[in-house]
Amino acid sequence: METLNFNFPAGSQQVLRKVQVGIVASGNLEVLLEPAANVYSQVRIRTSASGYGETWKALLQVFFERHDVAACIEINDSGASPPVVLLRLEQALEESL
Amino acid sequence: MKGKSFCEQNARERARVLLDHGTFRELLDPFARLESPHLPPQGIVPQSDDGVVVARGTIRAKEALVVSIEGGFQGGSIGEVGGAKIAGALEMALRDSARGRPVISVLVLDTGGIRLQEANLGILALSEIHAAIVELREYVPVVGVIAGKIGCFGGMGIAAALCSLLVGTEIGRLGLNGPEVIEQEAGIAEFDATDRQLIWKIMGCRRRMEIGQIDLLVQDSDTVLAEAIAEYCEKTLLEPAEARVPRTRQIESQLKKISDYPILPRILENTALPARTSVHSRGLLWFQALTGNSAVTPGAGAVLASDVQWGGETVRAIVVVPNPVKRFPRARDGQVGIEEGWEIARLVREAMTADEGREKRTLLAIVDVPGQAFGINEEILGLHLSLAAAVDAYATARRAGHPTVALIVGKAISGAFLAHGLQCGQILALNDENIEVHVMSEASVARITRRSPEEITSLARLVRATARGIRSFASLGAVDQLVNCDHSHSIDAYCVANVRSKILQAIGEIRLFPREPKMRLDSPASQESRKMSSVVRKALEAEWG
Repeated sequence: METLNFNFPAGSQQVLRKVQVGIVASGNLEVLLEPAANVYSQVRIRTSASGYGETWKALLQVFFERHDVAACIEINDSGASPPVVLLRLEQALEESL
Repeated sequence: MKGKSFCEQNARERARVLLDHGTFRELLDPFARLESPHLPPQGIVPQSDDGVVVARGTIRAKEALVVSIEGGFQGGSIGEVGGAKIAGALEMALRDSARGRPVISVLVLDTGGIRLQEANLGILALSEIHAAIVELREYVPVVGVIAGKIGCFGGMGIAAALCSLLVGTEIGRLGLNGPEVIEQEAGIAEFDATDRQLIWKIMGCRRRMEIGQIDLLVQDSDTVLAEAIAEYCEKTLLEPAEARVPRTRQIESQLKKISDYPILPRILENTALPARTSVHSRGLLWFQALTGNSAVTPGAGAVLASDVQWGGETVRAIVVVPNPVKRFPRARDGQVGIEEGWEIARLVREAMTADEGREKRTLLAIVDVPGQAFGINEEILGLHLSLAAAVDAYATARRAGHPTVALIVGKAISGAFLAHGLQCGQILALNDENIEVHVMSEASVARITRRSPEEITSLARLVRATARGIRSFASLGAVDQLVNCDHSHSIDAYCVANVRSKILQAIGEIRLFPREPKMRLDSPASQESRKMSSVVRKALEAEWG
């Protein structure tokens, strides 16, 4: 297991609600999304697959480029592929706006 | 088909669909952040709700609780936090129901049983869950739903058997030992865990329905399932609780079924009777020493009982011993097998009947059980139900005012210990490093958790609950007294007198102040080593409403 922390500048749209989606099952992940507490969108990831820090960073960059939001995000990951991660993040975001 | 698949939904969606529309309110939701503190140190990613969803709402406008286990996370296994959520929620439902505010309780079971990574923390939580169900079902319907891909096994299989109503689908399966564990423990000739047809033929809910071990088989539809449960609860709330005899109390008919059952010939071929007939059993030695009943030898049965008079106290000692000529090959080494669970239940209830209206005798469980029987015959007959019968008997006797004391003198493993010992009001143990308390053999733990035996040994140093010694178990606050006794050679008279006085002391304490399993959490050791079990319960009470 590896823990990763990232900060991104907060976007203009604040999320409104706390939302949890997904399950920590093989190839899947859980996303907890809630309003950002400060000027950063903080992301904490705990993943069963160690050594993919750069991939996560790139993936989150894509997410925050697509969506101009401010959110605090926690991810508990059990080896989900990048498309699954993006899908879950967007699912959470959709439910939280 | 009417409705959507129930099986395909996650635990939270399942809980929501069983409650009246719009009434779902989750307690200790993911943002309460009560996750397992034991998994990350083992390199395992935790889940924010520890795989258990607790929700309140109504069912046909009646107050209800739904506890839903997420089979997708760690096989739906029960660790400390998830276990405390289940037990704590049932305890709250019980509190309200006993005060005249009934809370219908539904358990959505998709679980392999105790989480091996949290081992003895799980087994203690299970004993509390069992105790709560036995009591709660006297007030309200406690409904178990077995509808997921994992099914319901281990200590949760016992919990299922204790429910007042069991509902299943074709996808669901129910048993005590999962196929992989049986294969690991007893060999592939006993059970081929890759044979899915065989598994469902034996453990599938359809089969369980045919032999009366579940009550309703419904199609995999959320609306059909919700309606069936609501219908049953509405009907049951109107009739008196004593109108139904729980299946865990149908002892005579079950013992008859078992004695009529022909053991599969291929199993008999594979398990020739051993040449030896003598047995070494700490349980038997202590039983004989404490009761003075040395005439009893194995061969007379695998469960022995004897009533003794100690001062003013009548004590019924019960022990499970090896029996090399037993009919069921997988229970010849002192395991709690299909006959033993029911026999323990019979012996306990016999004492309850005899003592009705007068001073209740003590029930002393002498514990030396290397585990439950791992065998195909046992699963065919429903070992989970047999063990549940013993759990029910001890719990009911305890609540009826019989002092119940467990004395651990040898092994205290897994489902066998849940059935014979863990429902007791007090637990005493010899302070002997050879005594083992655990949920599964090291080989099986290695197989199920995909770790090497070396990893498991080093883990035991890190996570106390996975260690196997009695002192580690005692550090969880589960042992009321460790009794010093040099056990290396034989049992001397001094030892016996000492143990007997400790038992009498425990009986005296219980007579003054009745005890139940959840009170183990009040011990100073528990406050530290099972901190989360208390934290979860307090948080749950605050959100209960």
